[in-house]
Amino acid sequence: MNEPCPSLAPSPPPVSRRRALADGTAATLAAARLLAPALFTGCSLGLPPRARTVTVGMLHSQTGPLGISATGLRDIELHAFEEINASGGILGHRIETRAPDPRSRTDLFVRKARQLLDEGVACIFGCWTSASRKAVLPLIEEARKLLLYSVQYEGNESSKYVVYGGMVPNQQILPGLDWLLSPAGGEKKKIFLVGSDYVFPRTANYIAKKYLQGKSLTVVGEAYLPLGDRDFTATVQRILDSGADCVLNTVNGTSNLGLFTALAAAKVDPVKLPVFSTSIAEDELRSLVPEQVRGHYALSCYFQSLDTPANRRWIAGFRDEFGFDRVTDDPMEPDWCLVHLWKQAVEKAGSFETEAVRQAFRDGLSYAGPGGTVRLDPKTQHTTKFFRIGRIRGDRQFDIVHASEAPLDPDPYPQIAFPGWSVDWTTEGITRGPEVTIDGDV
Amino acid sequence: MSIDDFYWLYDLPPHRMALLFVAAFVGFYWIGSILLRPILRQFVKYTAGANDIVGYVLSCFCVFYGLLLGLIAVTAYQNVADASANVTREAAALSALYEDVSRYPEPHGQNLRWLLRDYTRYIIKYAWPLQQKGIMPEEGTIRAAAVHDQLLEFQPRTPSEEIVHAEALRQLNHFLECRRMRLYSVGSSLPASMWFVMILGAILNIAICWLFDMRFITQLVLGGILAAYLGTMMFLIFDMNQPFRGDVSIKPDAFETLYARMNEG
Repeated sequence: MNEPCPSLAPSPPPVSRRRALADGTAATLAAARLLAPALFTGCSLGLPPRARTVTVGMLHSQTGPLGISATGLRDIELHAFEEINASGGILGHRIETRAPDPRSRTDLFVRKARQLLDEGVACIFGCWTSASRKAVLPLIEEARKLLLYSVQYEGNESSKYVVYGGMVPNQQILPGLDWLLSPAGGEKKKIFLVGSDYVFPRTANYIAKKYLQGKSLTVVGEAYLPLGDRDFTATVQRILDSGADCVLNTVNGTSNLGLFTALAAAKVDPVKLPVFSTSIAEDELRSLVPEQVRGHYALSCYFQSLDTPANRRWIAGFRDEFGFDRVTDDPMEPDWCLVHLWKQAVEKAGSFETEAVRQAFRDGLSYAGPGGTVRLDPKTQHTTKFFRIGRIRGDRQFDIVHASEAPLDPDPYPQIAFPGWSVDWTTEGITRGPEVTIDGDV
Repeated sequence: MSIDDFYWLYDLPPHRMALLFVAAFVGFYWIGSILLRPILRQFVKYTAGANDIVGYVLSCFCVFYGLLLGLIAVTAYQNVADASANVTREAAALSALYEDVSRYPEPHGQNLRWLLRDYTRYIIKYAWPLQQKGIMPEEGTIRAAAVHDQLLEFQPRTPSEEIVHAEALRQLNHFLECRRMRLYSVGSSLPASMWFVMILGAILNIAICWLFDMRFITQLVLGGILAAYLGTMMFLIFDMNQPFRGDVSIKPDAFETLYARMNEG
């Protein structure tokens, strides 16, 4: 056999640099070809896709006297936007929120609103008192952004850049008075008006007095105490002396504790002299003594005890997120509806731009909220509301004793109080009538 | 250009970030082998026993550089550990405060429990994702202030309420201190000078390897292994550089456990 001697066998040629380069290039190209689909079809190197975002402002006091109440609005808005984001956002945009703290101070509402507008938010959900709303209104109108306001208020105002989600007097106080006049309400004859001394109680009572002119329910007295005042002893004595058989209470905030303490001290029986409150909801009841308020009434569009599947689902969802003992109330429910009405308007407009969104209002948007279906009235930019009366229970909840059959249309300028005034944002806007002096004679 | 310009790397999954570091170092070494090695080799080409000299220099250099990398890695890990301890302390203080305010009369107790739960939820859902992007969350300060305000609003009426209130205020201060320390650590990282020394050291390490006289393919393989390990070390330090970013980062587990307990009722 002629096997080649190993020592004589040709050794492999040394790898030249040129050859190594050529092989290396070929190997790199092959690797690139292999990896390219993974790198480029995924197109991300594993980076999460960058979602488009839109920022929304939330202007609610988180500290100060209004902090605890207004925090509920911030939380329900966060809950709504979290749900919206989880279901894909709005127009493919993830909604981010900015929530500065105006600390229950009107001057800070203005400063924080300006800060939000400078940051370019799409709109602002916020304000609690009429004073704070009126303070930020000029900024909102100048920036041409929407303010979505969900607290009940006195009416007698309209701005094309505000969507009012809370009740106005013709959806709360006037149907409440009608109920008092009816057999179900005890056909009351004498009513005493007590309120805190600021714009809402003064205007609301002015409208009530106008409405009751010529009716069988007579206003037998009227009293206003400074916001925050807690000494109602003299006021309760005036109520008792007046011979009133019911009280319309527009007292706000912590003053309610003083009012009901004084009523309890005077041994007022809620069956004989019921108090009908406009600004007491489940959240406020937590600060009041159950024995002192049980049997009195509240006028509202929503109560947590509303026994419907939609409401039960809503409460459960909120509690899952924010805690097992959280309560829902008016204005949280209207606020939730406002977020969803705004979402609908944006989707209908295909844009977050204010004018486009306002145009979308013209279609008469509606939303099936936890308290029933509400509709956004394009003429007034207010929402329709169910009217409900709740009797306070010992467990800080309400028994609903009356509910309107259908939602009531909003009227920010009831003709009985503001003759000649009206608003229609689908046409000419505000029609002005003669100036009305709220503190003047009725 | 600063180290901040590379923070997008934290958004990558860890294995891809590691691969990227290794690929960058090996790629740099290989490209240098092709382009720079012929030039650098000129300095030692005609020196007898050049490989021995280069090997000796490389060993000395590696000792110093290895020590530096080791110390920096320990420092970076210590930063993460300290920030993690702050987070645990903050959650523990929050838990103790929650227990204290649960003894308050209503509605103060309920208001405070709501506010503390709200703070905890905010930390988990909003603050943590921001911290993971290296952004200091702002709205937690508002929530902490709300707790502070609400606590100061309570006026104890009995000696036992006074004791509980004093303890709650002490816990609140401890909680605020821990919270502040967590926020400080959001932006904590290795100083730029350390990164400069580390990167320069890595480049010199690789450059010394280019001085070896050996077959080209052997050069690519052996130097490539060294470069790959250098890349891995850099990945590790970079990953630990920011306590709340990357794979080696602090997770909100302590707050999540606390929030679950707060919601037990």
